[in-house]
Amino acid sequence: MSSLLKISVSLLFIFSSLTASGGDPYRISAGAGEAGAGYVCVMKSGFWSTFHNQALLTGTNSFTAGINYENRFGISELGTRTAGLIFPAGKAALAVIYSHFGYTDFRRDMTGLACGLKLSKKLSAGIQVDYFSERTSGEYDMHQSITCEAGLLISPNENTSIGIHVFNPVPNSLRKTFLPSSIRSGVGTYLNKSLFAGIEAEMFTGSKMILRAGFEYEAAKKLWLRGGFSTEYDSFSFGVGFLAKIVQIDLGFVTHDNLGVTSSVSLIFKIH
Amino acid sequence: MIRPFIISVLTVLSISGFCQETKLSESIISIAEELASDDTDPGAVETYTERLNELAENPVRINSSSEDEFSRLFFLSDFQVKALADYAHSSGRVVSVFELATIPGFDKETVEMIIPFITLDYKPVSDSDSVLWKNSIISNLSIRSGDTDTTLLGSNWKSLTKYKFSAGAFSGGFTMEKDAGEKFVTGNPPLPDFFSAHLLFNGSGLIRKIIIGDYSARFGQGTNINTGIRRGLSLSSPGYMSSSDEIKPYTSTDENNFFRGMAAEFSLKNFELSMFLSRKTRDATIDYLTGDSIGYISSFYQAGLHNTASLLQKKGVVTESGYGINLSYNQSNLKIGFTWSENSFSLPVNLPGSDPSKVFDFKGVRHNLYSVYYNGFIKNILLYGEVSLSDNNKDAVIQGISIRPSDRLSINFLFRNYNSGYTTFHGNGPGSSSKTTNERGILGNFSFEAAKHLFISGGFDIHDFPWLKYRCSGPTRGIARELRARYLPTEKITLEVLFNYRLSMVNNSDSAAIPDQKELLNRNVKGSIRYSISDNLIIGIRADFKLADPSESRGTLLLQDVIYKFRKLPVSVWFRYCLFKTNDWDSRIYTYENDLLYSFSIPALFGEGSRSYLMVKWEFCKFAELRLKYGITSQITTGNTVINTDEFKMQFRIRF
Repeated sequence: MSSLLKISVSLLFIFSSLTASGGDPYRISAGAGEAGAGYVCVMKSGFWSTFHNQALLTGTNSFTAGINYENRFGISELGTRTAGLIFPAGKAALAVIYSHFGYTDFRRDMTGLACGLKLSKKLSAGIQVDYFSERTSGEYDMHQSITCEAGLLISPNENTSIGIHVFNPVPNSLRKTFLPSSIRSGVGTYLNKSLFAGIEAEMFTGSKMILRAGFEYEAAKKLWLRGGFSTEYDSFSFGVGFLAKIVQIDLGFVTHDNLGVTSSVSLIFKIH
Repeated sequence: MIRPFIISVLTVLSISGFCQETKLSESIISIAEELASDDTDPGAVETYTERLNELAENPVRINSSSEDEFSRLFFLSDFQVKALADYAHSSGRVVSVFELATIPGFDKETVEMIIPFITLDYKPVSDSDSVLWKNSIISNLSIRSGDTDTTLLGSNWKSLTKYKFSAGAFSGGFTMEKDAGEKFVTGNPPLPDFFSAHLLFNGSGLIRKIIIGDYSARFGQGTNINTGIRRGLSLSSPGYMSSSDEIKPYTSTDENNFFRGMAAEFSLKNFELSMFLSRKTRDATIDYLTGDSIGYISSFYQAGLHNTASLLQKKGVVTESGYGINLSYNQSNLKIGFTWSENSFSLPVNLPGSDPSKVFDFKGVRHNLYSVYYNGFIKNILLYGEVSLSDNNKDAVIQGISIRPSDRLSINFLFRNYNSGYTTFHGNGPGSSSKTTNERGILGNFSFEAAKHLFISGGFDIHDFPWLKYRCSGPTRGIARELRARYLPTEKITLEVLFNYRLSMVNNSDSAAIPDQKELLNRNVKGSIRYSISDNLIIGIRADFKLADPSESRGTLLLQDVIYKFRKLPVSVWFRYCLFKTNDWDSRIYTYENDLLYSFSIPALFGEGSRSYLMVKWEFCKFAELRLKYGITSQITTGNTVINTDEFKMQFRIRF
């Protein structure tokens, strides 16, 4: 009976993490600001965006740390805790990220080491090595995987940027356990000085394509309002961000017709 | 002052050299994918890509000022070919490809389309050039994993070798091909499974051309003779109705649809005369009536694949003789032509009563076709038409009109009516299928420069098939619609959205007895971005959605391309990563891939999985280059089991 319960809980976790990250539980959905804008972030610089496209790391020019908590559908067992550090170094930047999902009977941890490099005025590239460990309590195995992800950021002009990102472009024939892949592309532009809007498409192995649209509006100095829409479950999202000295506080909410609201909060510390 | 100019010219040339191979227009790619999706004409895409390869390898010399030379750009309209010739005559030398966008009838979109296939090289012919020998050899080898069928006669690799030479007015070459699973040499004397050779004399006086060996031909609108691609390939691409008479050496690998023998082209004042004579064997399925030992041709086998014992039995079992004459009269704005051709076979074709769908088809040994055609310009209007009559009194009629009310708008309409029973063995008229018979329809399209950088084009084709045809046990109809919007804000960025609608009919397999027909509806939306970040780096992003009814099948695809040319090494790299998900085969999505020269890859992606490839080109010396391509398709089956299919291709090319 206990085993059955664990299996049910594990399956629920896997399902719920699938619904929140576009069909791939191994792609973490970090960042309350990004959540508020519908996760349209593959082309927009920001602390957590760098974990969606490592090429964006080059947009961070100060030593920065951040923590994020995502509470999926109000169920604490479905929470994801994420932390990261970015170290800028001239044209390059390095980052470390850690993420933890689940609870005692099912947990998935991810550690990533990333590097971004500005190749030219119009082009940046980034790469990240990921280590996943997945543990289910009881007699079940612990799975570990190593993979990589990479991205490009292209800036045709000052206001417009194009982001492309690939996660796990490694043939699954090379690994023992199946690990989904994803590709993601998007275009974003500053429509005016204070309004950024973007669209992006993302696809995971074995899943239909997801289209997203989102915006960020600087309503007042150091205050941002965000909104977005995703074709995955037709979910709307909204959020707010505020910068207080060296700390940026973001809140983000993503709706789901049947399962309720996923809320996120993140703190970003800019340490010069 | 001169030095910066030379540097900038060299820079432009190096950029265009890289772009030529990497920046293939989306219109060109769309046509290739459209042809690949046409199950009824598997050879069309091969012919099409070979024409593109021929053009890429031997680009059109824009500064040659020759209308014949310009008409090699087969995707241009007659309007555009004429405008290009007029411009070249009046303005002298073209120094930049972007200059072409200023020619009436041309725009940035058209220029982008032709850039990979033109050269601005200007080299007057001198006495020393006239005897200079030029040679070119291309050798391709491809191996695909998983081909472990033990019934195959030969090894599972595919090879292709092409040799060409030119020396002044003479040129020649040969082509050898072995498909996967075929024996390398067959027959007596032992020869590669497909071997083709030609010798060409190009003259400038009375004798314009003499070809000995294998050649292809096309006259008028192609309902009588056209061994190349048919017109009307794309609904929304401009210039789909270009026409010019030509006899040219055959260098393709379609193993049946060409002529073998001798052909000549003469020109005297405004008259042009072409004559051809051919005798060769052809693949066919032979059936026998009870007690009859001679047999008859029940069908022609077109695929050219002879990798099993039963397919090898079809190889070259019929001898076909063909001959014909084409006479045309050209005045400045009017062309009138007449073509007669005759085909005869060593065995009778289609005995009476053999198949209901063949009731109207040609039956017999000898077949004649007569055609008259014309095209004429009246200001901004081009009228053209053709009537062909076969000796069983069945006809094919084409009438078309192209209007260019302004330089920013062109409109085309084409009506065709091919009688059931009209038969052509080497014709290929414009239409929705490769068979120029049993079809009537009307096609229309437009191309419009809506704003400074915005181009909108669209088209429709409504057709019906009055008699039975393949997979249709009754009269059927079809509709095709297409709408394309392209935004080209700079020379470096292309954004495109394409909507495609296709309605066709096939037998309903659920029906008992004689099946009724059901409608198949495919709708496809494709969006793409292509951006040249720098002179040596290009990225591409493309997303596809497809809906197939009545099965309610859905398909999506997202892909990313990166093309990079090293600055300090003579190496170029193509990389693609693509994910796809379709419910089943009905919503499969075709994706064009960069490939070796004279090879093509447009895989139909279905199910769930990924497709990626890496291709490297290494020009290791001035005269030689090596290309390697590795592609892998991973498909996920139940239980997250992954099935991988990979292929490796290699090409060696040398010019001396």
